[in-house]
Amino acid sequence: MKRDVLERVLWSLSVDRFSKEKFKENPEKYLSRFPLDADDVEMILSFDVKKLQQIGVSSLLTMGYWIEMSPDKSMVTYNKKLGSESSYSASIKG
Amino acid sequence: MAKIVGGFLVPHDPIMFVAPNAPDKIVADKAWEAYETCAQNLAAMDVTTVIIVGNDHYMLFGTTCLPKYCIGTGHVEGPIDRLPGLNKALVNNNEALASFIASDGAEQGFDWAVARSFTTDHAFSIPYQLIVQRAEAISGREIKAIPVYLGSAVDPFISMKRCRELGEQIAASVSRFDSDENVAVIGSGGISHWVGVKESGKVNPEFDQRIIDLCCNQDLDQMIALSDEQILEQGGNGAMELRNFVCAMAAVGAGTVSLIEYQPVPEWVTGLGFMELRAS
Repeated sequence: MKRDVLERVLWSLSVDRFSKEKFKENPEKYLSRFPLDADDVEMILSFDVKKLQQIGVSSLLTMGYWIEMSPDKSMVTYNKKLGSESSYSASIKG
Repeated sequence: MAKIVGGFLVPHDPIMFVAPNAPDKIVADKAWEAYETCAQNLAAMDVTTVIIVGNDHYMLFGTTCLPKYCIGTGHVEGPIDRLPGLNKALVNNNEALASFIASDGAEQGFDWAVARSFTTDHAFSIPYQLIVQRAEAISGREIKAIPVYLGSAVDPFISMKRCRELGEQIAASVSRFDSDENVAVIGSGGISHWVGVKESGKVNPEFDQRIIDLCCNQDLDQMIALSDEQILEQGGNGAMELRNFVCAMAAVGAGTVSLIEYQPVPEWVTGLGFMELRAS
């Protein structure tokens, strides 16, 4: 199932130091290791957390990978991407 | 034989540590004081071991294995997610009792996933530090702690019914454990809260009060009758942690449940409920 591999990628980018480093070095090359189609790759590279959640990816992982890997780690931006104006979040990194 | 003498239902809200000054001081103080009340009451219980029932937040267990229920039987440390004021440290696990719960449970049809060397997350470590370690300091006595992790935050979720059965199995196994230990059980989780979704910051006091009433009335039948759809709609994805409450309540058994404190705190994205369980 599409969701499962996406969760594996996002989990790795949330908690695994090696994966984080490889993604930062060359995100396309890192993602090529996984059976992802072009839409999947685009969702991850564009940090489209709303679309990822819509196809069933856990919000714990969209939040975790956002905090760890997004250029703008702001949870306000994250909430806006989800369609919320809330300034509150459950992020443990402020 | 060992026996379960009581316990608590408490939140494990990491935002309390990350943004301690976000809510009004009066609200924040009430939450911190509630933990202190739990610690004082635990210290007065003459407890030797505490079982903390929490859940992973997709940090410890990855997509390659998602256990429905897991117990730490050996070396335990944590949390993996360090927070300001919550540092990673060794946990004084009761390895003998934890191993017995797993092996005795297997005899009763409960195939525990076992963590021989385990790192906790904040679901265990917040109540461990604020209640168990604090009770140790108050009483001057050693109190061991066992981590139990349920599949309450990542699907496939453990069922509410199985959480109740698991709590009852924990109680039965403790009662068969050959020691004179007094054991407490803490159910660790928030009531209404929405985590990482667009509703984050929403709290539902009506739902929270309903859950508090069910807990204080010890109405486990109604608790486990709540469907996942009802919980997700009214309490948010974080409220699936009520499974941890159900397991703890079932472990402690009939007695009294009393409310220590309740605060709905949007700034900390959670309905925070603190309750004390007393075994009959």
